[in-house]
Amino acid sequence: MLQTIFYGLTIGGILYIISIGLSLTFGAMGIVNFSHGVIYAAGAYALYAGLKTGMSFIPAAILAVLASIPLSYVIERFVIRRLYGKSIDYAIIATYAVLLMGVDGLKWIWGASPLPISDPLGITVGFWGVEMPLYRLLIIGLSLTVFIGLSMFFKRTVVGKIVVAGLQDREAVRSLGIDIDKYFALVFILGSALAALGGVLYAPISALHPYMGFHVLILCFAVVIVGGMGNFKGTALAALGLGMVMALTGRFWGPAAEAMVFVVMILVLVFRPIEV
Amino acid sequence: MFKKIEQYPAVTMVVIAAGFIVFGFSTSLLKITDFIIFCIFVLGFDLLYGHMGRLSFGHMLYLGTGAYSAALFSRYVLPDPFLAMAAGILGGVLIGSIIGPVIVRTSGACFALLNLALNQVGHFAVLVPLAGITGGEDGMSLHFNSYGFINFNDLEFLFFFSLGSLLFVVFLVLKFVRSPYGLFLKATKENEIRAQFLGYNTHINKVVTFVLSAAISGFAGALTVINYRFTNPSFIDPTRNVEVIFAALMGGAGNVMGAVVGGTMFMTISNYLARYIVRWEMFLGAALLFIAFKFRKGIWGYLRQV
Repeated sequence: MLQTIFYGLTIGGILYIISIGLSLTFGAMGIVNFSHGVIYAAGAYALYAGLKTGMSFIPAAILAVLASIPLSYVIERFVIRRLYGKSIDYAIIATYAVLLMGVDGLKWIWGASPLPISDPLGITVGFWGVEMPLYRLLIIGLSLTVFIGLSMFFKRTVVGKIVVAGLQDREAVRSLGIDIDKYFALVFILGSALAALGGVLYAPISALHPYMGFHVLILCFAVVIVGGMGNFKGTALAALGLGMVMALTGRFWGPAAEAMVFVVMILVLVFRPIEV
Repeated sequence: MFKKIEQYPAVTMVVIAAGFIVFGFSTSLLKITDFIIFCIFVLGFDLLYGHMGRLSFGHMLYLGTGAYSAALFSRYVLPDPFLAMAAGILGGVLIGSIIGPVIVRTSGACFALLNLALNQVGHFAVLVPLAGITGGEDGMSLHFNSYGFINFNDLEFLFFFSLGSLLFVVFLVLKFVRSPYGLFLKATKENEIRAQFLGYNTHINKVVTFVLSAAISGFAGALTVINYRFTNPSFIDPTRNVEVIFAALMGGAGNVMGAVVGGTMFMTISNYLARYIVRWEMFLGAALLFIAFKFRKGIWGYLRQV
C-alpha cells in the first residue's frame, strides 16, 4: 500500500510539472495548447539522443531541457502569438496541427517503434518494509522543489507578479504600460521547459514513443480542468489527487488507470461545472 | 452560380447525387461508398460545430458507439442489416442523451476536452472491460442477411443505399437548420445569453441538437460496419478525431454543402494522394495550420462567393 502511495506521488509530481505550463497558457490566453505534448515528447527524445552519444544522465537531461527552449520559442512566435483573442476553436485546431507535425517529425527522425531508456540510478532503497527505486524518490523531491520555486517566483519576483496580475486582468496591466504579451511569452517558454523536464523525468520509468505526448496531454488537461485554469495551487492539488487515483486504480485493475482519471474529471465537472 | 445550388434543397440533393454517381462509376464504387458514409459523419459533426458553435474533439465516440451497437446487435441478436442500423442509431441516441445534458453546459475548450476524455473512456471500454464481447484489439467480422435484391454484399446496392442515406440526412439537416428551430440554434451560437434573455430554454435545444448529432454519427457508424463487414477499435480511436474536424473545416463549417464537399475532399486526399505524400501527418498538420490561419471559409465558403 505504501508503495502504491509513493507511485501515486511520482505520477502526481510529473503530471504537476507538465501541467503547470498548460495551466498558464489556459489561464492567460484561454488557449488549449496541444503543442505542449510535442515539447514533452521532444524533451524525452532529446534525452535519448544525448544518452546515445555517451553523455551521462544529468548533462543529457539539462541539454534536453535547454533544447526545448528554441523549439517552444518558434511555436510561440509563429503559432500561439497569432491566436491571441481569436476564436478558441481555431486555437485548438492550430495547436493540434503543431502536435501532429511534431509527432510526425519525431517518427521521421527516430522511427515509430518504442525506445527504452533505463533507470539512470538503478538503486532501490528500502524503508518501512518497502522497496522503492531511488529515482522515483528523486522525482518526488524535484517536483516539490519546482512547486516551491514557482510559488516563490509568482509571489516574490516582479515578473511573477506581473504574470499573476495579467492572469486576473490583462487590460488593466496593459494600461499600466506593461507589455504583457512579452511576459506571457516568457512564461510560455518557462512552462514548455518544464514540460520538457517532465518528459525527461518520465522517460526512464516508461518507454519513448512518438505518441507519448498525446496520451500525457489528455491526462494533463484533466489535471488543469479539475484544478481550475490558471490556478497554481489547484493544479498542484489536482495533479497529486489524480496521480493517486491512477496509482490506486493501477494497483487493483492495471489497464483502467488512465480511464479512471477521466471518470474523476467528468464527475468533478458534473458537480462543479466550469464555464469556459 | 454555386450559391444557387444550396438555395433549394431539391437542387442541393440532385447535385450531390449526380456528383457521387459520376465520381463513383468513374473510379471505384467500393471507395466512393466509403466517402459517402464519411460525409454522413461530417454532417453529424458539423451540426454541432458549424451550426451550434461547439467544437467536439471526441466525435469518434458517437461513430464508434453506433458501429459497435450495430455490430453487437448483428452478431448476438439478429444479423439483419436494417435492424442493425436501427441499433446503431439507437446507440447514438442513447449515448447522446446520457452525455448530452451534462456536456452541453460547458462550451469552448471544456466541451472539446470533455468529449475527448469521454472518447478515451469509450475506447478503453471497448478494448478492455468489454473485450469479451467486442473482440478487443482484433475486433470481429460480421455477416448480414440479404433479402432478394436487398443485398448489402452487392457493391452497387450498397452504393445506392448509402447515397440514399446521405441524401436523407442532407434533407433532414437542411430542414432542421432552416426551420425556426435552426434559426434559434444560430442565435444560440452567436450569443447564448441574449437568446436566453428572449425567454428561450437554450439548454433543452442544445441537448436535442447534441442527441441528433450523435444519432447521425451513430448511423454513419452502423453504415461503416455494414460496408466493411467487420469492426475494430479504430472506429472509436480518439486520435482519429482530427479527420472529421479537418474535413468539416476544409469544406467550410456551418454549411451542408460544405460538409459534403469537405468530406469528399478529405477522403480523396487520404485515399488517392496519401500514396504520394510520404509524411502524411506532417502534411495534415501543415494543411490544418493553413486553413486555421488563412482559409477559414473553406472550399465551399469560397466557391459560394464566386
